[in-house]
Amino acid sequence: MPTSEELNDWVRAVAQAADRPAFAALFKHFAPRVKAYLMASGTPEALAEDLAQEAMVMVWRKAAMFDPVRAGLSTWIFAIARNLRTDHFRRDGNRLVDGADHESDDIADPMPALDEQFLTTQREASVRRAITQLSAQQAEILRLSFFEERPHSRIARELGIPLGTVKSRVRLAVNHLRRMLDGFEP
Amino acid sequence: MTMIQHHPADDLLLALAAGNLPGGPSLVVASHVEACAQCRSRMQMLEAAGGVMLEDLAPEPLSPQALARTLAAIDALPREAARARPVGRLPAAPEGMAWPQALQSCTATRWHWLAPGMRWSRITLPADPQAKLFLLRIGAGMKLAWHTHSETELTQVLHGSFHDGRALFDAGDFDQADGGIHHQPVVQANSECICLASIEGRMVFDGAIARTLGALIGM
Repeated sequence: MPTSEELNDWVRAVAQAADRPAFAALFKHFAPRVKAYLMASGTPEALAEDLAQEAMVMVWRKAAMFDPVRAGLSTWIFAIARNLRTDHFRRDGNRLVDGADHESDDIADPMPALDEQFLTTQREASVRRAITQLSAQQAEILRLSFFEERPHSRIARELGIPLGTVKSRVRLAVNHLRRMLDGFEP
Repeated sequence: MTMIQHHPADDLLLALAAGNLPGGPSLVVASHVEACAQCRSRMQMLEAAGGVMLEDLAPEPLSPQALARTLAAIDALPREAARARPVGRLPAAPEGMAWPQALQSCTATRWHWLAPGMRWSRITLPADPQAKLFLLRIGAGMKLAWHTHSETELTQVLHGSFHDGRALFDAGDFDQADGGIHHQPVVQANSECICLASIEGRMVFDGAIARTLGALIGM
């Protein structure tokens, strides 16, 4: 597994020098994960293959906009893949998966930068730790929220629990993550 | 701007982070997140959770030619200058107010007359023309008709403030109203109020005239 420093070096090499070997290394790490994410959220394999390649083209195009101070690379690529997925299904008139103006990745964050890249790495490590400490039920709701394109009302029906219970598990999961990350709130 | 008191519930922020909100609601929630440091920080955390989950997925192998195809697609990219971003058209904003960046690719109609001191504009999302997204512009001190909602209405206050009997909603505040809420928003006397509202289902007005108006403008 490449370290986050290696990944950041590669994306910088793509941004500054259109470095193809660095891009190939990023592709090897991320394209199969993006494809897995798309398939987990219900995209048929052939389409997931195409969209994963399209996501990597976006990584090439937008590499210069990646700011390691704002987010980790996997978070940035997650957002690219998510937006591509919602844009694709929106074009197809699928009302379920739909999204905001996704070129918004391009807009500079008006918030002052969170100090240093160090803090971002710390935050992402803390998020990882916090996720492993969620209860099984909270972790399931979080996973279903990210990887299934179903609204919470449908998740509730399929798990056979009331919508209010889904919402309160979401609230508990998010509260738990936030408590773990208290030091990183502005 | 005053302190933001009313925020979207966690399930809405999570749905935005996961990419699972319909076009109209996602623009209203995104407009709030832009204006609210607390919700921006929460979104960062939820997106980081998405990043962690992406890292942890078992990789799904791509076809052997996938990298070569992707590099070919990169070679075929038009030059930066040739890729103009679609820019929408929004009505003039009052002094001291800017439209949320989230709306930048949207197009809004001119302000239509709704009732004395009340105007509305329909917003069209380029990729989701069915979305029921509106701007409401209500004069200082005006009252909206009593109404409830057949489903859910999400509102972000962009300018001015209103009180609906439950609470005061100021610029930057977010509100989620559904059929359980029967309210009459009253705009505060010091300024007109502009809200961005996404409506699923219909607003159900009490009075016959208000009902007719509601039906006319598709609310």
